[in-house]
Parts: sequence; structure tokens; C-alpha cells
Amino acid sequence: MDTRYLVVGSSHAALEAVAAIRMHDPDGSLALVTRDRHPPYSPTVLPYVVSGRSVPESVRLRDDRYFTANRVTYLPGRALVRLRPEHGTATLSDGATIAYDKLLLATGATPAIPPIPGLDRAAYHVLRTLDDALALRSAIATARRPVVLGGGLVGMHAAENLVEAGAAVTVVEMQPRVLGAYFDPIAAGLIERAFVAHGARIVTGRRVVAVSREDAATRVHLDDGDTLTTDLLLVATGVKPDLAYLADSGVAHEAGILVDDGMRTSVANVWAAGDCAQARDFLTGRPILNAILPEAAEQGRLAGMAMAGDPGTRSYAGGVPLNTYRFFGHHAIAVGTVPAGAADHLRHDAAHGRYLRIAVADGRLHGMFGVDVFFDGGVMRQLILRRTDVSAVIDRLLADPLRTGRELMSRMWK
Amino acid sequence: MTMAVREAGTAAATRPRHIVCEGNEAAALAVAMVRPDMLSVYPITPQSSLVEHLAKLCADGRMDAEIVDAEGEHSVLSVLQGAALAGGRTFTATCGPGLAFMFEPYWRTPGLRLPIVMALVTRDGITPQSVWGGHQDAMTVREAGWIQIYCETVQEVLDTTIMAFRIAEHRDVMLPVNVCLDGNYLSYGAARVTLPDQAGVDAFMGERNINWHAALDPLRPMAVDPLTGGSGGKGPAAFLRYRKGQCRSMQNALRVITEVHDEYAARFGRAFAPLVERYRMDDAEMALVTLGSMTGAAKDAVDEARAAGRRVGIVKIKTFSPFPVEALAQALAGVGAIGVVDRSVGFRWNCGPVFQELLGVLYRLGRPVPTASFIGGLAGADLTVEHFHAVIARTAALLGGDVPDGPIWVNEND
Amino acid sequence: MGHAYATIAFEAARCDGCQDCMRACATAKCGSDDISRARLQVLPAVLPAGQPLDGGAPASFELAMCRQCGDPRCVAVCPAGALAKDVETGVITRNADTCVDCLLCTVGCAYAGIAPDPADGRVAKCDMCDGAPACVAACPTGALRHVTTARIYNEVGDWEDLFAPGLAGCQGCNSELVMRHALRRVGPDTVLATPPGCVPGMGSVGYNGLTGTKVPVFHPLLTNTAAMLAGVKRQYKRVGRDITAMAIAGDGGASDVGFQSLSGAAERGEEILFLVIDNEGYMNTGMQRSSCTPYGAWTSTTPVGRETKGKSQDAKNLPLLMVGHRCAYVATASTAFMQDFYDKLDKAIAASKHGFAYLHVYSPCTTGWRFPTERNIAVARTAVETNFVMLWEFTPQDGLHLTHPIESPRPVADYLKAMGRFRHLTDDQIGHIQAKVEENRAVIAQIAAGAAAR
Repeated sequence: MDTRYLVVGSSHAALEAVAAIRMHDPDGSLALVTRDRHPPYSPTVLPYVVSGRSVPESVRLRDDRYFTANRVTYLPGRALVRLRPEHGTATLSDGATIAYDKLLLATGATPAIPPIPGLDRAAYHVLRTLDDALALRSAIATARRPVVLGGGLVGMHAAENLVEAGAAVTVVEMQPRVLGAYFDPIAAGLIERAFVAHGARIVTGRRVVAVSREDAATRVHLDDGDTLTTDLLLVATGVKPDLAYLADSGVAHEAGILVDDGMRTSVANVWAAGDCAQARDFLTGRPILNAILPEAAEQGRLAGMAMAGDPGTRSYAGGVPLNTYRFFGHHAIAVGTVPAGAADHLRHDAAHGRYLRIAVADGRLHGMFGVDVFFDGGVMRQLILRRTDVSAVIDRLLADPLRTGRELMSRMWK
Repeated sequence: MTMAVREAGTAAATRPRHIVCEGNEAAALAVAMVRPDMLSVYPITPQSSLVEHLAKLCADGRMDAEIVDAEGEHSVLSVLQGAALAGGRTFTATCGPGLAFMFEPYWRTPGLRLPIVMALVTRDGITPQSVWGGHQDAMTVREAGWIQIYCETVQEVLDTTIMAFRIAEHRDVMLPVNVCLDGNYLSYGAARVTLPDQAGVDAFMGERNINWHAALDPLRPMAVDPLTGGSGGKGPAAFLRYRKGQCRSMQNALRVITEVHDEYAARFGRAFAPLVERYRMDDAEMALVTLGSMTGAAKDAVDEARAAGRRVGIVKIKTFSPFPVEALAQALAGVGAIGVVDRSVGFRWNCGPVFQELLGVLYRLGRPVPTASFIGGLAGADLTVEHFHAVIARTAALLGGDVPDGPIWVNEND
Repeated sequence: MGHAYATIAFEAARCDGCQDCMRACATAKCGSDDISRARLQVLPAVLPAGQPLDGGAPASFELAMCRQCGDPRCVAVCPAGALAKDVETGVITRNADTCVDCLLCTVGCAYAGIAPDPADGRVAKCDMCDGAPACVAACPTGALRHVTTARIYNEVGDWEDLFAPGLAGCQGCNSELVMRHALRRVGPDTVLATPPGCVPGMGSVGYNGLTGTKVPVFHPLLTNTAAMLAGVKRQYKRVGRDITAMAIAGDGGASDVGFQSLSGAAERGEEILFLVIDNEGYMNTGMQRSSCTPYGAWTSTTPVGRETKGKSQDAKNLPLLMVGHRCAYVATASTAFMQDFYDKLDKAIAASKHGFAYLHVYSPCTTGWRFPTERNIAVARTAVETNFVMLWEFTPQDGLHLTHPIESPRPVADYLKAMGRFRHLTDDQIGHIQAKVEENRAVIAQIAAGAAAR
């Protein structure tokens, strides 16, 4: 088949691109190909599917009616296997070849499985797809001693689900603290404390050296000689793009597909966005994988606008780490980074588990991190992107980040 | 009189009636008989009783017409232009200063090709301040493009007013018509008149179609009078085509006026010379040229002069615009002297305006005829039989080669 | 065509910080008087002026609330599909059943428009109260307004533009905006008069046999617009056809040489919709003075020289003169306030079916007033905000009342400095204009007070 626009993937980046294309070009032929068989959903919602909070039927982000109304040819259950940019064609796992004018690669990422001896022969779960979530949900019901490899967001969410299900969970994290990509030791400590209080065991700074099977049980061997026996092993040690389809395509990539600030790849008429893309980091300017939902949505939108020739197309502002995390009724929010040499402004109410950290360098806001101290993360992201000088208000910002941030926001948008 | 009027204004009255009325009332009664849609009025001496009669006819329900009491003559004619462009049969009356104030829309009406009929109750110009009759107002606007027809008697005012609508609305004409009746003499002069029967007038008028050519009608939207002319593109040719058509229609009017008069005479039994009246011109060696009501006294004087053996006749101009050059040339073909009596002055040539116009006719005759310009009856001054005897005597002197080098002021020694 | 929506606007300068809006919201949405639970947060500004964000004069109050974005980030980042923009109402709705409380929406939104309710930790946001916002109803100062101008876009956008495309107005001219909006609102059963001026000058009546308008249109004389239209309207009324007789005239023709016919038609109660586009002079023919030209303004016939500096007389208040005629409807309008304009246009159309309706639209002229072409609406707005122009309406029944009163007007100098035609003004001249603004305001206020007292 021929199509003007071909979008590969069906999560946030892909869906935002489709919306952006249709905003400017209501009629150009548009096909959306995805390897998933389920209606589009967000990987981020999967822990809630595991916990039962969300039911699979309600997590769809688009339905057939949407695709029909927007004249999108929706082709689920087909993976991209080969790309021939010189011919403008993409070959799918069902053998079909699609000729495109403009292509967006929003193929996401797959779980990164660490090279642990024995792991490949062990039974373990991952959590990246809806099928993964459904399998894990079934397994939780009978799991008594689950082990979670990886203290990132996926691992911690799953661990909480397992705790809530009554299991004795152990989280093994190689780094000195959990959620180290987002939170400093104090914040991570508050989170770990909550887990421990709910009966979980958090093992940090330990490496898994081997995995072995013994009858129905799986044994996880740590580098300090300790061995954990488990009836449910979840490997949640991060994700990485699966870019096998790029072989011989000429599309430049490192860990992810390299894109410029217009989400263009090194090859004409091919864009990339979301977890598979390696785009400019706002702070360092270097291309990074920043596999978070808000960036995927933003990149997908920019790519879609560029593909459709929307004159409103802007340059990518650069990736800013951004996340929210709910745990046992508490919340943690992380926006931005703490650059080297940044001045730290902290307040920590250990008794109530409330913590706020503001990172400022050269008077400008670079990051804000809180546990059970709510602030408007979207506002802070704007202040960071605008390199806003907050030196005059830093005391107020620390004391009352909500009101001060909103005041800054209101004036910023005037 | 009142009784007869009431009957005349209803369709039930089918027999001719005789009444005594002044010229202004005769005009108003004629207007009622043609069933106009819109009247717009502003009073001015000596026209006032005409519009008062119109108002009374409407107020009494004897005429079904919209009457707009505009705030001045400028608006009076403007209202009628709008009404005519919406398909209405329209009428008004004015004179002297009112005509001067009306001049801007007056000047435009022929270009809009609107068949508006306006009684011009002629009045002398100011200053000196004057409120009495004279042809100065009508002569001043003789190049504005209106048809101008002068009446001699009250009866002729009535009949000509009816005919004026037929002439104006004729498809070969589509031009506005002034029915000129002399201020004071005809406006206020009472005489016995015969009213035509309403059914006959209805039949005479026929189908109404005022704005077939240019309309302001949402059912057939068009731009009326877009900007035309200039020195580029289609402009010059478009403007020329338009003006040329207007001139052609003016010439068509000479034929149409004659046809309408013939038809009127056949239907109602009253005949008036449509363009030029020859009075006792057979074998005449000299002719007086007259205009309007003065002709009555002139005819009495000519009758007496004929009785005394003088071979003198009268050529009365009824249709002054378009100027009936051929008819005049024929009427004056055999004469050896011409005395032209004007009731206004021509400042540029130091003669009467009719005299000036007649000089062109002499060129058409192909021989130089001794001609004198008489100016009299200004600002309401009388033109009596005695005055015309003096005119005849002076004209006779022309036969002997005594041609004056300037106008002869008829009332100079009154 | 897309869809536009109603919105809630906040004018900080009118806010007195009473917090009634937040109480009303908390009560309406949570049954609570805890204003921290309100979905709009009006905050007294305490940051030092001018820093760290120098976006002009700092307002005394700031507002955080959902802006119901057309391309909402909160929706884009919701992993659970719990947020959606309602295409009918424009409101971004939240499904509490499917929301997983992840808070990602709060990092998506750049306006602090969605945040956890302190009482239960679940996110909450403004839902516009089903089209009748409680906060707006509770606001005693008018600082919060429910702006329903969107209907102009939605409704009017579907009506046919009855002017031809490609009219040759000056760049940035908003007379064309007024014309096109007004005529498409009035509709095709209209006879349109456009006397000499900018409106026909840009080609609305056409050239050499071509037309620029899809309704019957004509050039009246500069002097007789109202009279000609009166004749048109009366003739149609006579034959039982309902048409709208509409004039789109300039201020010069209306206030100067055409005033007699305007006055006469108004006195007679002719059923006409008479719309004046007031650009304060004969702008089509080279920017000559009219009697609507304000004091001090440069025009090509009131030049700036050694002896005199601009016009030495004040402008005629034409709409107020029309009030003196007791017209069925008289109103002033500005292109910077289109909702107000449309409300008045609707009333004027209705009034023109039984009497004389007069609508006076103040319309800045980029060419003649000498300001950058993109500043037209801003200049129009400043005219209103300084009370140089006042927006009001009048009917014989209800008298005159202000439709957009300016409680704390900016100094008129803010308006004067926005354009080149006043560049030469001396302080004395500026003082004169400020005094005239005060005088005019007092006169209008007195008339309005008289109406209110009835």
C-alpha cells in the first residue's frame, strides 16, 4: 500500500503525532502500524492494570471510532522489520511493504534484560505490554515471595502492587538507592521507608550475579553471597529501544535513534519520537534517551507538525526529566535535574515525611523535587525551560512553592 | 370640486369630470391617478400647495402612496431614488432654491436611469430675493440630463403630468422628467379642467416595471453604480458606453414623447403638440418663439395682429429637453424674422437661454434669419397682450434689417 | 471548521481580592468553604515589581485555573485516558473512575490548571459549571467574566461572507473586519448602502460593472445615504417584503455633509440599520479632517506646523447626537470588543425593524493614524481602556448605560503615544485631551445615571 504518512507505534508519541498531522492536514492518507494487538494504551498505566485499579478495557487511549473519524488506517499486530528509506518503503512482520512519503518511528522500547547468568533459563516476568501486565496480574494472586529486580518506577510500582496483594516482596537495586534517576538520597529514603513500613524489603547497592532454578522456585544470587528464593521474579531493570529494523537503513542511531530539534533522523522523510528517540537534553545539549511520557508526547507532537508542514512547528526545547510517583498514598514529584555546582535549597520535615529540594544554578531554576509537598510540575518545567531567574524569590519558592509558582506562572503567561 | 376629486381618486369613477382648480392641484390630481408608490415632499413657494394637496389626498385615503416628509429637497429626491431602485413609481415637486439644494441628487438621477417625475413649479433665481415665477431655475439645470416639458395651461399640467410617467418609464427612455409649470401663473392660476377617467388612466399606464434595468433587490443582487471610468482598463470604454446610451435615450425621448401624446389624444380626446406647437404659422413671415404660460397672452396678441394684417405666428416649445431641433427647424422654415421670448436670462451670451439654443436651429435652417432676444416676465412680472404687441412690433423691425445687438428687456418700462 | 468555546477571563485590575470566587467554587464543587479546594486560585501578587519576570506592570492579583486548552497537554500526558476535551463544550473533563491518580497531568499543565484537591489528594479542575460558572456569578467587581465570544466564531463562521474576497483595504485595516462581520450577521436579505469612503474604496461596490458584494449594494452620495435607504426600505415595506436596509458609512459622511439626511431619517424613524465606521477622518482620500477628528490630531488638512499643531477643535460626539434623536437604538462599539459589538449588532438589527438603529464603531486606521499594522486591535482596546472611547448603548425605554465601564482608566497619554498622528502633542495639548476625556465621561455618566434612576 501507499500512504502519505506512516506512523509506527501506538503509544503517546505516535498518537500525538497523528493528532498533530490531522490538525494541519485533515485529508492526507495516514497509516498507523503497531506490533501490539491491543488498542493503543500507555505503558505507564500498566502497573495499575497489574493492581486491578485499571481494567484493560478502560485503558485504551483511542478507539476504532477515532481512527475512522480521523481517516487513519490502523494496522495492529504488525511489527516493522525492515526500513528502506532510499525507496521510501517499510516492510512489516506480515510481509507487507508500505510505501510512505513521511515516516515516523515511534516504536518505543522493550525491557532491557541484564546479562545475568541463568536468567535466560529462568521463568520471569517483565512489564512493558498489556499482555505482560495481564500475566503479572495473574501471577500476583499466588505469589508469596516475589523478587523485583530493579528499583525504578516500574519495579517500585509493581513492588507496591505485590505488597498490597499481601506478598513478602524484595526489591533488588544495583544502585545505592531506589528511583535514583529522579530522587536524591533523602527523597529515596522517604520512599524506601514507606515500603519497609509496609513490609517490603529493599536491597540496594547489590548486584545479581546469577539466577538458578530449583523445582518451582527460582533462586536469585546476590554479589554479597545472599540468595533470595522466589516464586515470582520480575525483571524491571529499565528499557531500551529495539532497533533491529534499522539494519542497513542508514538511519543513524546510538542506543536510540538520533534526532535533531525537529525530530528528524539522519535520513530524509524519516522522523523519530518517544522512547526510541535520542533527542537533545535541555541541560547538557547532548542527545539522550529520556524515556518518559511527557517527552514522548511532546516529541510526537513536534514530529507530526513537521511531517504535515504545519507552519506552527517549533524546535524541541530539549528534554527535561519529569516524573510523578504515587506510593502508599504519598506522592513524589521530580522536575529537572541538579547540575554540578548547583545551589541546593532544602527543607525536610522528617517527622511528617515532607521534603522539598530546589536546585538553582546561576540564579536560574534547574530542578524541583518533592515528597508529599505538592507543586505544579508543569509550571516548574516552564520556568526551567525559560531559564527563569528565581534568585529573588527563592525563599518564598521554598516556603510556598505552590502559590509562588502560580504567581510566577500567571505573570509569565501575560 | 371636492366631490369630483374624490371620485377621480377612485377606480369606480370612470366618466370624465370637470372641475375648477389651480395648476398645483391639477398636478396633484394627476399624480393620484397614476397611483404612485412613493411621494417625498418638502414645501417651497410657489410649489407648496402642490405638496399640500398630495398630503391631503394621502391623508384622506384618496391616494394610496407612501409620503415621506423629508427634511429638505436633497433628501426628497434621494428618497425617491431609493424607492425607484426598489421598484416604486415616484413623484415630487420643487422649484428655485429647492432645486438648487437638490442639485447633487438631481444631477445624478438621469445617470441612474430612474423614471422619477418631478413637477418643477418654475421660479426665478435668487438673488435678488424673490419668491415669484420665472424660468431661471429650470434653465440653470438644462444640462443635467432630465427631460423638461413646459406646460401652457392648467389642463396641460394635468394631462402632461400623467403622460410624463409614461414617457419616463418607457423602455427606450428610462429618464427622469420635469413637468414645468410656471410659478404663480400656472401654480396658482385656477381654470376649468377635465379629469380623465381613472379606468382610462389605469389602462393608459399599463403594467408597472420601474426597475427592470437596475435594482436594489436581494432576490437579484447587483451593484448599482459601481465606480466607472478612469484612464485605465475597461473604465474609459465603460463610462463612454454608459454616457452614449444616456444621450441616445434622450434622443429616443423625442419620438416617445410624440407617441405618448398621440396615444393620450386618441384615448382621452385632448391633443397637445408634443414637441413644438405651430400657432397661425401658415404663411407667417415672422414668428414668436415662446415657452410655457406666456403663450396664452402671445396667442391673443397674434390673433389681434393677424386681424390687423400682420403675417405673424407662434412657435411654442413644449419639450425643451431634449431640444427639438428638427421640429423647430421645420416650424421656422419659412419665416424671415424670429422673436424669442425668454422668462430667464443667459448670463454668458447676454440673451435669453431659449434664444441661445435657437441660434443652433438657425444653423440647421441653412440661412441667417434675423432674430431678437426678448427677456420678460422675470420674478413674477406680467407678460401681457400689450407686451407681446411690442414684441411683435420689434420683431417686425427685424424684417427691415434692424437687428438689436443685445436683449430687449420687455418689462423695462412697466 | 474548528470549534471555539466560552472561557472565563480575569481582569486583574478589577479584582479587589475578596475571594468570593474561590468560596463560590469550593461551595459549588466540594460543598466546602475551604478556598484551598477551589479550582481557581486568585493570588495576591507579592513578588517585587519588575522581577524576576518583567512582563509589564505587575498586577495586584494573579490567577491560576484551567484554561481549557485547545490542545491540552494534560490530556496528552494522561496514561489512563481519564482526561478528554469535550468537543461540544470545550471543557476538559476528568473521569474519576479511570483516573489512576498518577499526577502526570500536573506536570503536563503549564498553567497550574489541574492539581490535587487537598481534601482527598485526587486531581480536580475547573469544569466551567456546565456553562454557568459559579465564580463569575459571585464576582462583585467584574474582574471575572464568562466570555462567550466563541459563539461569534462558531455561529458566524458558518454564515456566508457576503463580501467578495480580495477587497483592497489597507494592511491591518479593521474596517474590513467590521464590514464582513456585520454583513454576514445581517444576512442576504439586505440592501446595502456604502457611501463614498473606505468601504467602497476597497471595492465593495465594485468597479466598471463588477461587484464586490453578494447583496444588492449601491453608492449613495456622500450626502444622502440615510435618505436613499429610507426610500428603499419604505418601498419594500409598502409591498410587504422584509429586507434590512443597512448603511456602512464613514464618520466623515455621517457627521459632516451627510448629517442632515442622517438626522432627518432618524427623526422620521426610518427603519434603517445605520452603521458608522469611525476612523476619525476622510481616510480613504488622504486623511483629511472630519468633525469626528479629535483635537490635536494630525490630518492632511490639520497639519503640524509652526503656528498650529493638528486639529484645533474637539470631535463632534456623533453617537450622542443620535441619542438626542431618540432613535430606537443607539450604541457605540469597538473592534477590540467583538462580543460587545455582536450583542449590539443583534439589538440594532432588531431595532431596525421598527425604527432607526444607529451603531457607531470606533475603528482605528493604521494608515491615517500612523501606527504599525499589527497594532490595530491593541490601539482600539487602549482607546476604550483610557475612556477616550466609551462603550454604551441607548434605547428610549431604558436610556443610556455603559456596556464596558472602565473603573480605573489609564491615562489618555497611553493611547495618544500609541500612534504617530499625536506624536507632536505638547503637554498642554495632552492636558486638553485628558480634560475632554473627563468631561465626556462625566456627560455620559450623568446621562447613564439619569437612566439608572428611572
